Amino acid sequence: MHIHLSGIHFRYQRDPVLEIPGLDINEGRVTALLGPNGAGKSTLLRVIAGLERPASGEVTIGGRPIRNARDASSLVAYGFQESVFLGGTIRKNLDVALRLRKLPAEERKSRIEDLARACDIVPLLDRKADHVSVGEGRRATLARTLALRAPVTLLDEPLAALDAPTRESLLSTLPRLLREYASTTVIVTHDRSEAVRLADDIVIIIGGRVRLVAPRQAAFSNPPDEETAAFLGYHMLDTEGGRQAIAPGVLQPGPGDVSFHFQVETVLRTPAGHEVLGAIDSTRLTVHLPLGAAIPAPGATITVSAPSSAILQFDSASTPAR
Amino acid sequence: MGQLWDGFVEAIRLIFTLDSTVLEITFRTVLVSGTATLLAMAVGVPLGYALARGRFRGRNIALGLVYTGMGFPPVVVGLFVWLMLVRSGPLGDLELIYTRQAMVIAQFVISVPLVIGFTAASIQSLPPRLGDLLASLGAGRIRTLVYLAREARLGLLAAVMAGFGAVISEVGASQTVGGNLEGETRVLTTAIVLATSRGQNEQAIALGVILLSLALAVNLLLTFVQQRPR
Repeated sequence: MHIHLSGIHFRYQRDPVLEIPGLDINEGRVTALLGPNGAGKSTLLRVIAGLERPASGEVTIGGRPIRNARDASSLVAYGFQESVFLGGTIRKNLDVALRLRKLPAEERKSRIEDLARACDIVPLLDRKADHVSVGEGRRATLARTLALRAPVTLLDEPLAALDAPTRESLLSTLPRLLREYASTTVIVTHDRSEAVRLADDIVIIIGGRVRLVAPRQAAFSNPPDEETAAFLGYHMLDTEGGRQAIAPGVLQPGPGDVSFHFQVETVLRTPAGHEVLGAIDSTRLTVHLPLGAAIPAPGATITVSAPSSAILQFDSASTPAR
Repeated sequence: MGQLWDGFVEAIRLIFTLDSTVLEITFRTVLVSGTATLLAMAVGVPLGYALARGRFRGRNIALGLVYTGMGFPPVVVGLFVWLMLVRSGPLGDLELIYTRQAMVIAQFVISVPLVIGFTAASIQSLPPRLGDLLASLGAGRIRTLVYLAREARLGLLAAVMAGFGAVISEVGASQTVGGNLEGETRVLTTAIVLATSRGQNEQAIALGVILLSLALAVNLLLTFVQQRPR
């Protein structure tokens, strides 16, 4: 189902948290709400789910206005960031969720078994919900959310605070699970790599405002302003009349389209070569050296360069001049 | 020591001979304190929930007042209710002073802050997003309250125990608004005070044993319900 937001103003006490004149989230696609901590992403997700009421503005899902959680409950499945369970077993928790959606017993049983297999929580089903680890809780939350098979699935930071192997395991399973069990999906994340791996479309939110809405392929190449560029990992350099943004990972040792003097501070050995930590003017950044490249000494100044297509120029009003 | 032993023997005699006066006082005690506790639960649980979950101006002040009320001296509550219900008071026309209803009102006022406070604390100790989860799953307000009450039942039963324990054992308010009228408003605590003042120590001890047994029985029952495995 298509999600439409218009004129959303949300304040916490007196501070503005969200100012969104308009936003459309496309039906049948996975959309990542990407932004730094405190950007208002989770609040936006809660507004969509009717869990928060904005001071003004309207949310519709499939054309139906959402004024509260009750309006949204038959359309939305919400996966909370924290492990939120009732007392009792994981099976009971999944069953309660499906019972509140008024599903008959046979259907509930079948869905629980299906999602338990899909989310790899079969051994957890009869374990008390307060006796599962964070990672197991995330899988159980995902199973409960997807078991609802709602037209819209909302996932709030489904991979946050997980250890690296658990995160990687869930990150690799999630796209398949979403394809099989979810339709329109909105995922909140602050991690660019997660957004790239999970989403079809990316919405970047900074300071409560939507800065960019783009398909995944285009989201990282055209940041509309300095803040967005900095959040996307661009290296920001002061220039006359504005600032220059160098795309992440494009700097190479040696001269090229646009060259810079790079002051070497530290050289770190990595499995793929060397990471050289240093600075261009006062901007600290890292340059990757492939295996076999000459290793500069700390304190030395070397020439590094980037293709001109990977450099954006922002004028003093923070709009790209390129 | 001998007097204490004599008191126990007298208590057993009164209980097992089904002494009509003792039975009547005990029954009245349970009726008055039980009614007050039930009313306090009916009012206090929703209010405690609202204080725990609500986001409104003055919430912290309201919580502070409730916590202050939890330690209110019963005799002061009794005095307040007496001033309201006495014939010359604002509610004097209701003619409730020196009746069981007046005692229920006073005991209600004593127990309701305890029920509100314990309820608010137990609801606040639940995961903060539990209400949101239930709302997002489509549970209405009543069903959400029922699920949350089930989750917080340890605290809620503690609220019942605290409320009932406070009113069944208080004497000041019952004496002030009930008047300790024989056959009308005499309850175990006021009867104990009277017996002691008359020097009927064995009877006072006997009534004390009955009161303690009653409180113990109610609390044991609630504890078994509270600690039942889920």
